Amino acid sequence: MKTSLQFVLVELSRHYRIRCQDVAVATMTIVVYVEDRAIGELARDRIRTLAGKHPCRVIVLDGTLGESEHRVEAADWVELGVKGAAAQTIASATDVLRLPEAPVVLLWIARGIEGEERFERLWHGVQTVVYNSSLVDAGCGALRELAAYVGHHPDLPLADIAYLRLAPWQESLAIFFDGAELRELFDLRGVEIACGSEPEAYYLLGWLAARLGWKAHDRGTLLDRNGVPVAFEVRREGEPRRIRSVSLRSSRSVYQARADDQTQTILMSVGGSSRHPQRFLPVANPGIAALVERAILRGRGDRIFAESLAAAGEILAAAEDS
Amino acid sequence: MTTASVNPLRAGLPVERIANPCSVVFFGASGDLFKRKLLPAVFSMKLMGTLPADFALVGFARTAYDDAAFREYCRAQLALFMPADQQPEGPLWEDFARRISYVTADFKDTRYFLTLKDRLARNDAEFATGGNHLFYLATPPPVFPEIIARLQQAGLERSATGWTRIVVEKPFGTDLASARALQNAIEAVFPESTIYRIDHYLGKEPVQDIIALRFANTIFEPIWNRNYVQHVQITSAETLGVEERGGYYDQAGALRDMLQNHVINLLALVAMEAPISSAADDIRDEKYKVLSAIAPCSHAEVWSVSARGQYGPGAIDGREVPGYRQERDVAPDSNTETFAALKLYVESWRWAGVPFYLRSGKRLPRKVAEIAVTFKPIPHRFYGESTEAIAPNVLVIKIEPDEGVSLRFEAKVPGPKEHVRSVYMDFNYGTGFGVESPPAYERLIGDAMLGDQTLFTRWDAVERAWEIVTPVLEVWQNTKDFSFPNYAAGSQGPQSANDLFGEWRRL
Repeated sequence: MKTSLQFVLVELSRHYRIRCQDVAVATMTIVVYVEDRAIGELARDRIRTLAGKHPCRVIVLDGTLGESEHRVEAADWVELGVKGAAAQTIASATDVLRLPEAPVVLLWIARGIEGEERFERLWHGVQTVVYNSSLVDAGCGALRELAAYVGHHPDLPLADIAYLRLAPWQESLAIFFDGAELRELFDLRGVEIACGSEPEAYYLLGWLAARLGWKAHDRGTLLDRNGVPVAFEVRREGEPRRIRSVSLRSSRSVYQARADDQTQTILMSVGGSSRHPQRFLPVANPGIAALVERAILRGRGDRIFAESLAAAGEILAAAEDS
Repeated sequence: MTTASVNPLRAGLPVERIANPCSVVFFGASGDLFKRKLLPAVFSMKLMGTLPADFALVGFARTAYDDAAFREYCRAQLALFMPADQQPEGPLWEDFARRISYVTADFKDTRYFLTLKDRLARNDAEFATGGNHLFYLATPPPVFPEIIARLQQAGLERSATGWTRIVVEKPFGTDLASARALQNAIEAVFPESTIYRIDHYLGKEPVQDIIALRFANTIFEPIWNRNYVQHVQITSAETLGVEERGGYYDQAGALRDMLQNHVINLLALVAMEAPISSAADDIRDEKYKVLSAIAPCSHAEVWSVSARGQYGPGAIDGREVPGYRQERDVAPDSNTETFAALKLYVESWRWAGVPFYLRSGKRLPRKVAEIAVTFKPIPHRFYGESTEAIAPNVLVIKIEPDEGVSLRFEAKVPGPKEHVRSVYMDFNYGTGFGVESPPAYERLIGDAMLGDQTLFTRWDAVERAWEIVTPVLEVWQNTKDFSFPNYAAGSQGPQSANDLFGEWRRL
């Protein structure tokens, strides 16, 4: 690093003294790694929102700026240029600048993780790694890579924004089967998901598969616990990162959840023998800041997410093989 | 039983606390509480996605509405009382509105309750509410027994296909005898496991955090006892006067209105032992044990353990305000207290000898609800004369208007001299987590739908709280206080409270 960290620390300390009256609580250090200027600006904006809610120190590691560039913006905001810097140096600088007692959250906003030494160095020792598998790739390449990486590194304390975004859809699908329709949940024969990008769709499919004990079979087919085929189709439709509709078909009924973007609601309808009054559920698409917040609050050890990711990975692998 | 335990898709979802489908009936739906608190709470749950998708709301009151007019009334009230970004519009409102219906009723006539029964059956068919019924008594308390009797006569005390629960608003009785009479009326129809006595204070996030602070940390519990704690002050102070409630308040007073329920509940949470689990009855058992360890004073002791006051004219926030006796619907020679203070002892191994000071009042200089635990002074002062001013440590659990925790401790002033001064470590929920605490009613209505009684008061605790305050109530009622009004609006309260305990925290 060509930046003097001692100088940065003195700057931070000076800012801290100026506003020490305001800083009563620190909840974490957020380390943000960015490699794209435009996405980096967007990320900064969201992190500012988050930092406004959760007092924390933010360390932005900017891969677009040279090693000699740095900026101390306020008591708890520091930016370092890391273009060309060695992974070990970056990790060491992060260690020096983080708050000593508070947990560290790593936001990795870059293309690729497999074989990326910087990622490898930075994530060890942090409490949560926040990744967004649909930010840089609307296809399922990043998700496939992530599933494989987690398969080799099961202790990675990962949260994926693409998965967290699914909460209202998971809720709506759960509601379908809360009552007497529960038995039909184990009789599903088909799943159709329309989404603007693939990671969200495959995460939702992986979640269903993991919860219901379905196994990947081939491109377009899963097998349920009894070996009965469950057909699936993932269709690209609408804006990236937004699910448009999910349709679940049993032998007797069709359960459909459909987004209405204008009104931010999910319209839920059931046709066939389990006919049910129409219902609405708020989507309330949370912003990135809120999703990162959710990732941080959920912390590590989300078993349901881990199982969903593994199932999504298996489904993608089976599709590739067949 | 929640659906989470049977539906595999529910496991691990962020919104796990969604109740079964149900119809909620609000008795007193044309009243103030419904429009200001209850309706906004339910609609907010709808917007947040925490209301069951299969849901229906029935208003039941004397004011004449048909369904359409009541829906319009609800829309108008929500437009008034919901924030700008949560207005009643769009498909969520339309979906909510079509689930609203109304029964114009006379509470004394069973026929209207039979109409309600029909309505609930229609809701079950039309909105798949599964025969689950939550009855919310938001009427004036004298009507409660009437409603309960009619519910039974109409066969609504239980449902053939689902659960039936009843929420009872405070005050639960006006004294020990009336509370017992009300309890008799309710328990003759509903078992205790279906009764939800609401004290909205218990739904406030910082009140719930008392348990987390005490039992999710190791550093407080070892010093949370008579060996380290000098005294505990619990304050619930308001700047408001009686506003539109003069008629009610003049019959109630501060002791009944605040101390007997809210403040004593706080005392129970602060003083209780660790429950063996977070189950509702494990927590409520411990709270009851605290109250049962407080011996009610004798009539002769009342003046040495209590103080009362009534505000006269004064100034709040820089504007002049009238005295209590000049308020609307208040008797010009009223003997009702607008300030009450008590000194109580919890006679247990943990708390023997530690006084708990409770106070609540209206027209005080600041709106404050807090619990201040003051620790004993240091045993030996080796800093010399400058240490005369060393103050004891104080841990303050802040409930209103700030929500959080602060700790006062001593630190050395930088420099060659050995000056020590108090510093404050302050944690606010607003800045610590950056999220607004959900309104208490939202949490409590949701819990009642879920069947979680943790934040509702059990009868034994209500009865014990009345037993504790009864001697004070009786003596105060039978003794005219000729010093009233004895504190000016906007002042720190009556001198008699200072005589009871000279070190109240300044408001």
